[in-house]
Amino acid sequence: MADVVTVPQVRPVQPALRFLRVIPGVLLLGAIGYAGKLLEQNVGAYAKAHHWTFPNIEYVLWAIVLGLAISNTVGVPEIFRSGVATYEFWLKAGIVLLGARFLLGDILKLGGVSLVLVAIEIVGSLAFMTFLGRLFKLKPKLTTLLAVGSAVCGVSAIIATKGAIEADDEDSSFSIAAILALGALALFTFPVIGHFLHLSDRAYGLWAGLGVDNTAEATAAGALYSDAAGKLAVLVKSTRNAMIGFVVLAYAIYWASKGQAQAVGNKAAFLWQKFPKFVLGFLLISVLATYHFFNKDQVGALANLSRWAFLLTFAGVGLRTNFRDMRKQGLRPFAVGAIGEVAIAVFTLALVIGAEKIFGF
Amino acid sequence: MGAEGKAENNQSPWKLSLDSWAVVVALLAALLIRAGVFKHIPW
Repeated sequence: MADVVTVPQVRPVQPALRFLRVIPGVLLLGAIGYAGKLLEQNVGAYAKAHHWTFPNIEYVLWAIVLGLAISNTVGVPEIFRSGVATYEFWLKAGIVLLGARFLLGDILKLGGVSLVLVAIEIVGSLAFMTFLGRLFKLKPKLTTLLAVGSAVCGVSAIIATKGAIEADDEDSSFSIAAILALGALALFTFPVIGHFLHLSDRAYGLWAGLGVDNTAEATAAGALYSDAAGKLAVLVKSTRNAMIGFVVLAYAIYWASKGQAQAVGNKAAFLWQKFPKFVLGFLLISVLATYHFFNKDQVGALANLSRWAFLLTFAGVGLRTNFRDMRKQGLRPFAVGAIGEVAIAVFTLALVIGAEKIFGF
Repeated sequence: MGAEGKAENNQSPWKLSLDSWAVVVALLAALLIRAGVFKHIPW
């Protein structure tokens, strides 16, 4: 009897039940995304019919704004939450499918340029965020998480690093909140600055991929500017994501050398575990498209499927952003993140403008 | 090691990550389109 009381039984959730649980949220993502698409078509047509001067607002922005409105007014009811959390899944599936719109030659050319810029961005951002963390006397592991989050790939990088360096839950939620809040700001400020500076699609796409932290926000910020900029932002952001394993490994070794994290045994296995597999899927689809495995109509169908996947992602970005929750996380980590992000945005913008002049793309 | 790290180590080796599932589903969709099961995806 005592055993029954002291050893609680944790019932594993059946896969079928888990699948059923996500359906309401996925339907909500679809409904919001589709409403965004309808609004794009109808608001523009209505304004034109009534001779109003109204900016053409893309479905991307409508989907995010509708999601934000729900999340920050009535909130997301419990029944939808598991499904809303699948937006990361749709994002990654959408990126893999987007590979069909890239020829391998383009990836090698643009990937080569972006790899150099990504390397400079990562080193510069890590150094600057570490300096800021020390200046503001943040806890060292919190500084590491903020640095990795802003230099590499937002929330995924923070979660991967948290496990590797054994950081506190509190530190990781601070970092995630700061990165998400700043990502939401970047989403709206990057396109405005890009248009103000009359950046080309390529320059803007590179900048969004380098300067916006989270993959979902980088994809949305690119798509808000133009289709071509969105494609490039995804490519550059995926290059940044591919670096995650190396950065996390370096930090894991650093903290292990200080006796504050477990030593990394098999480094190759560690790198493989942390490597974002969707980057490989993206490359594979691109290779198949380059060698005409798909005909023109099929490439079009894959591109459209990718757009649908991103539509669900953009709705999810809005739904998971809750400003009230972000305010609760405190000011100092947010201030460090904000100063760092502004500096990184300026730094990456200068890098992109410089690269455009040198490489002439 | 944190609870998350322990949980990661205790995962069954066949269990796919979210990343891998996204790749599997996207590749499957691509194959179905290639095979002509889905001829046209509207946008």
